[in-house]
Amino acid sequence: MSVANVVDHPLTGQSMPGAEAIIQVLADEGVDTIFGYSGGAILPTYDAIFRYNANETRHGEPIRLIVPANEQGAGFMAAGYARSTGKVGVFLVTSGPGATNCVTPIRDCAADSVPVVLLCGQVPRAAMGTDAFQEAPVFNIMSACAKHTFLVKDPEKLEETVRSAFDIARSGRPGPVVIDLPKDVQNTMVEFKGSGILHFRGYERRLENLNQSRISEKRAQQFFQMLSLSERPLLYVGGGVINSNAAEELREFAHRFNVPAVTTVHGIGSMDVNDDLCLHMLGMHGTAYANYAVDDCDFLIAVGSRFDDRVAGKVKEFAPNARFIAHIDIDAAEIGKVKAVNWSHVGDAKTSLRSLIEFGRSFEKDFTPWLEHVRMLRQEYPLTYDKESNLIQPYEALEILSELTNGEAIVVTGVGQHQMWAAQYYKYRNPRTWLTSGSMGTMGFGLPAAIGAQAANPGKLVVDVDGDGSLRMNLGEMETATTYNLPVKILLLNNQGDGMVRQWQKLYFGHRFSGSDKTLHMKDFVKAAEADGYQFSKRVFDRGKLRDTLKEFLTFEGPAFLEVMIDPEAGVYPMVGPGQSYKEMVTGDFIKSRPAPKDGEKVDMTTIPDLF
Amino acid sequence: MTYQDDKKEGLHVLSALVENEFGVLARIAGLFAARGFNIESLTVGPTHDHTISRMTILVKGSSTVIEQVKKQLNKLIEVITVQDLTETGNFITRELMLCKVNCNPKNRVEIMKIGELFRAKAIDFTPGSLTFELVGSAEKADNFLIFLHPYGIAELARSGVVGMNRGSGGLQSQLQKKLASRVEEPTREEPEPV
Repeated sequence: MSVANVVDHPLTGQSMPGAEAIIQVLADEGVDTIFGYSGGAILPTYDAIFRYNANETRHGEPIRLIVPANEQGAGFMAAGYARSTGKVGVFLVTSGPGATNCVTPIRDCAADSVPVVLLCGQVPRAAMGTDAFQEAPVFNIMSACAKHTFLVKDPEKLEETVRSAFDIARSGRPGPVVIDLPKDVQNTMVEFKGSGILHFRGYERRLENLNQSRISEKRAQQFFQMLSLSERPLLYVGGGVINSNAAEELREFAHRFNVPAVTTVHGIGSMDVNDDLCLHMLGMHGTAYANYAVDDCDFLIAVGSRFDDRVAGKVKEFAPNARFIAHIDIDAAEIGKVKAVNWSHVGDAKTSLRSLIEFGRSFEKDFTPWLEHVRMLRQEYPLTYDKESNLIQPYEALEILSELTNGEAIVVTGVGQHQMWAAQYYKYRNPRTWLTSGSMGTMGFGLPAAIGAQAANPGKLVVDVDGDGSLRMNLGEMETATTYNLPVKILLLNNQGDGMVRQWQKLYFGHRFSGSDKTLHMKDFVKAAEADGYQFSKRVFDRGKLRDTLKEFLTFEGPAFLEVMIDPEAGVYPMVGPGQSYKEMVTGDFIKSRPAPKDGEKVDMTTIPDLF
Repeated sequence: MTYQDDKKEGLHVLSALVENEFGVLARIAGLFAARGFNIESLTVGPTHDHTISRMTILVKGSSTVIEQVKKQLNKLIEVITVQDLTETGNFITRELMLCKVNCNPKNRVEIMKIGELFRAKAIDFTPGSLTFELVGSAEKADNFLIFLHPYGIAELARSGVVGMNRGSGGLQSQLQKKLASRVEEPTREEPEPV
């Protein structure tokens, strides 16, 4: 609920243009930063921001405006803001191309359950549907991608619509909400009410049920019965735990009942990676010990995770020894969507874990042999790499980064090999310090999301670990960081091409590097950074200079750019191929694997084409 | 009519109450398209409460798929409530069909007889054509068409299936109760109609 609903608003009854009402509602919602790019159809609202900030008697703090190079950048900035804080990120763009450039971040936010609100201009109501200048069917396009889309046709409902957008974005399973704002609606004079939302009977009732949903005593008994019947319980933790700020409850649960945990790519940070009970990431590029633990467990407890194809590539053989599977999720549609479970609860991770801890007050069971087993797995099959090479190994760069920042920086990434290395080798300690495009896998996410995270967390160290392919995608945003003097640290791991694509081409396409080799590309990233005003812009080739340069880079006061030329042959291991079970996991040349790897064993090519 | 047989084949009649707002139909149709669910027919119209529309969706799929369809529908903000009528086993459906069939003075009476057998109403009559209105189950409409085909069907329009529960188990009365129980007002059971 917005603050405005609780107290009488000082502007109640005042007449103002729609655009002003929009900005006032944003201010009431606590929006301190708007990411956005102006244009014809949104000009009235941009003007309203200017006037709002210039008004000495305004009711609220000034709203900072951060202008990206491209609207997609604004979307990912808002996403970085939202992911790192849990608050709703806001972006504001014009109609037509402005709005369509935001389709990718909107879909990305929906796929990763990130609360953002996009306000986009639209041609005046009378011109809609006439193929007017800068007109796009935003309602249709966005309806297919967002949690919800509004087209404001009635200026009388404008204020309530904006307020409802925030409510919908952050409630239940969070997600992106789009508001399409015809230009004439922004200009229409409205009477400011100061409170009120639109009512959606079904959604409100479902939310209320969700908020009141508690695990009953009987269901809790069933849960603990399964736990007492099992010898090898394992938590399988996803982004739901981060979204509901339940890291504390999760850690307490794990330690209270002595249940080790594996995390999905979005669950990273819910447990301290250094914690004995944390087995780190599972799945396609999970640690070998996490995946072995999944294979060995007899009770899998999924919390805020969804058996995604990168985790359960071969659903039937996922957690094959689990006698029981329990699933806690805020989204009823995730229960049983992929894998049938024995016990489930639809509810928020925080309250669900809390009530299980309460119900289990007197529960005692000794899981020592299992804990010994997972400790052994961690010791025997750790992540490792070629430590003798003269070429810089990306893993080492990330280990040093982790060490120098004590695992406490906010790490943001693009998509590809560097993303997986950053997931594997950085030792995360806290929730919301790992921001990545997991489900959509959007290259180009890193830099703008890091800028958004830095804007939201002024005192914190934000590092964009990026790849040369991903960084190119939104390279224009390099300048945005220096323009606003946001001290983002851009760490480019350059392997001269699309490394993950090359890795798949090596495995499944006979080493034919169609479209993925960039050794002949001309870009001088260091010069590019210099041109964008980076006072620190360096390149390292020499492994011996890696540590010192990284230290210098991280301690630089303003925005900084460091390009690390890495071994282009470095691969991401372990790897469970698409559609394969963990039994078929390959661990590469350096990580030990449990069954002796069969020499020259190749993945059956005939099974690949359909899989992704 | 009963959909017992169709249940085996996986044909389900879903009934959904939705906010009568701009764009709901587009969103629901979009959901089915994006997730690859197969719609056989979809009808929508306002109810006696003009703020609520009812959609009847005929969809094919296994019970797991239907479960997922229901859950995904329930995630849409404007969806108020969804029910799989087929699952309740106690429901009625109807479809309206308009069928224009070619005719001549010789076979006119014959065609009219067929129409009578199916209790179809002749609603337009020209020297070369006869238009029937048929209300009933989808199967009844299909069967009627088998008999009309030989004469040459000129035009055909079908409304798609509409449906609801029999007796007091309706979605809207349930909704009333649910909404009423939210404000904790005592509710009175409606007497079962005879």
